Amino acid sequence: MSATCPGERGCVVTADWKDITPRALFYVPMEPAVVQVKDLVKTYPPDIRAVDGVTFSIPKGKVFSILGPNGAGKTTTIEIVEGLRTPTSGEVTVLGADIGRGYGAIRGRVGVLPQNFEPFDLLSPFEAVSYWADLFEVRLAKKDILDVLESVGLTERKKVMSRNLSGGEKRKLGIALSMVNDPELLFLDEPTTGLDPRARRDLWKLIEDTRKKGTTIVLTTHYLDEAEKLADHVAIMHKGKIIADGSPEELVTRHGKKTAIVLVGAGQEGLKALTRRGIKATEVDGDVVVSVDDPAELRWTFAKLSSIEVPYKEMYTRRETLEDVFLSLIGTRMEEGVLQG
Amino acid sequence: MNKILSDIRAFGLQFLRTKVGAFFTFIFPVLLILLFGAVFSAQDGGSITLRVQNLDPGPQSQVLLNVLNGTGYFEISMIEDDVAVLDYINKNSIRLALFIPPDFSEKVSDGSNATVILYGDQTLSTFGVANGVLAAAVSQMNYDLSGASETISVVIENPGIDSFGAYDFLLPGFVGLTVMITALYFMTSTCAEHRSRGYFKLLATTTLTKSEWLSSKFIFNSIILVLSLLLTFAVAASMFDLKAVLTPMALVLVVVGAFMFTSMGMLLGIIVKDPESASALSNAIGFPMMFLSGSFWDLSASPTYLQAISKAMPLTYLNDGLRDTMVYGNEGSALVNLAIIAVLGFALFILGSRLMSWKER
Repeated sequence: MSATCPGERGCVVTADWKDITPRALFYVPMEPAVVQVKDLVKTYPPDIRAVDGVTFSIPKGKVFSILGPNGAGKTTTIEIVEGLRTPTSGEVTVLGADIGRGYGAIRGRVGVLPQNFEPFDLLSPFEAVSYWADLFEVRLAKKDILDVLESVGLTERKKVMSRNLSGGEKRKLGIALSMVNDPELLFLDEPTTGLDPRARRDLWKLIEDTRKKGTTIVLTTHYLDEAEKLADHVAIMHKGKIIADGSPEELVTRHGKKTAIVLVGAGQEGLKALTRRGIKATEVDGDVVVSVDDPAELRWTFAKLSSIEVPYKEMYTRRETLEDVFLSLIGTRMEEGVLQG
Repeated sequence: MNKILSDIRAFGLQFLRTKVGAFFTFIFPVLLILLFGAVFSAQDGGSITLRVQNLDPGPQSQVLLNVLNGTGYFEISMIEDDVAVLDYINKNSIRLALFIPPDFSEKVSDGSNATVILYGDQTLSTFGVANGVLAAAVSQMNYDLSGASETISVVIENPGIDSFGAYDFLLPGFVGLTVMITALYFMTSTCAEHRSRGYFKLLATTTLTKSEWLSSKFIFNSIILVLSLLLTFAVAASMFDLKAVLTPMALVLVVVGAFMFTSMGMLLGIIVKDPESASALSNAIGFPMMFLSGSFWDLSASPTYLQAISKAMPLTYLNDGLRDTMVYGNEGSALVNLAIIAVLGFALFILGSRLMSWKER
């Protein structure tokens, strides 16, 4: 049995002849996409195409990640979809509404954590959540506000002026505000940028918990591991265009190799030694990585590597990740959103 | 309405916690009226120190000094005969001194032109007072010597209220000034801060509309400025013999003035990109208005071109309206000033709300 999905409304499911009964060929109704973007363009004078013909759609209840380096056009794209920036051309539909006519009626169904979120300095988290709930015309009792703060781990800090919160706490408060209206669609624009590993892990858990409640999440990030861990679907953006998209597994299968052999600490010397023997490899943080397309070649490659004098501390294999896909597509690595080399 | 009230409450909490806002709205006008009131009260009752070098051995100089002493305006202190008067003045930074030459009595007795010299800084108000009193004393001596009497005299009466004091004039000016500072400066800086820190973008993600946000700022400014007026008036009334009265029209003028300057601040806030440029721009507009709108002094004696400039300052109409109703009791004139402020405020509000955008272009 196979399925093709030609449009947003549903999929045609077909079966082998032997399976065919009067009910074997049927149309499965699907929920319309929560977000649909078609041929989106944003230009700035004199002729900078920040977003260059971007098209994608996001199904309900999924985490959709836009991944790319700084300046790729992620935030411009997401801000247009959020209704915070005017597009030059293209069509954007959010929760069934054409945003060209304004967000109006759907604003209360959407939550947004903007990039570089700054809370109101002189309001405490408790006051800020209460204020934000009022702005969405959501009635929250004191206990409800405390529940919201607990969900983001800010119970202990509920009375502290926001200017005295740490970077991670401020971001948590931002997420609390973005979820105060229990949104169907949540935009998180680089929610973990600049946070320490622990704060990042806390926020990842929060995002996973939110997704479990059925909220559709649009996440922009330049952290490959974040997209790989959280997203159902990743769109890699570079120079205003989406250059690849799919689930993390699909992207690895489509654009990456299957397995990587890592020679820990081999460095430049190891890279040169392998290259001299005709083995294609790359150096990543002092390690040398050899990608293997076919699992059948794995044993042979190991044997060959063992026969070469390479100064490494240990050797192991790993499944390739989005980082390898990114390297393969862009041709360079990315650190904190900045392309290296 | 709930959203507007909530925005007012949140903004109010932040306003009070900044302390700077609370200072300029509540403490600043009270300090102004106390300081200026004290200065002008002291001038009403205080005497001017007059240094005198009298080189005249005759009786006429003593007569003049007795007349001056009798006015109650001067506290006379003598300079030694053996010092050069100009050196003494310069060396001791004397602001006011009277020199009576050695031949004063002789010339008075001869009927020739006897002169005394008044040294002083003519830019000081005390010089004007001393000059006036000295001229009156000399006139009195001339009448006595010639056996004549004054045939024409001037009687001064206040057409408004009894014993109209300087603080009565100053109070409406300080209230107007506070309305301008609070509404204009804070609205401009609020808009700049909201833009530079991404608060506008953040608010745009909620269901709060731009007009609701603007309404909340106007209502908030009106509330705190009416409270400021009540506080300043209460302090002035308790400290001085205040004859100005608090009228319903004054409260209406403060509210409409708050609307006008809030709208003006919103318009300036559209132009500026950050709090630093907001401060520079609101100072560039607010400072001339502060001094050329009659907040501190009456501009009717100033040059014609300055009076023309003051007519172009919106604060002039607020100050004039407040004085009309609080001091002169002229409600008709206050109403005209109110209408001018209201029309200007409405025009600025329409323009500002059309130009203001929370979206990025």
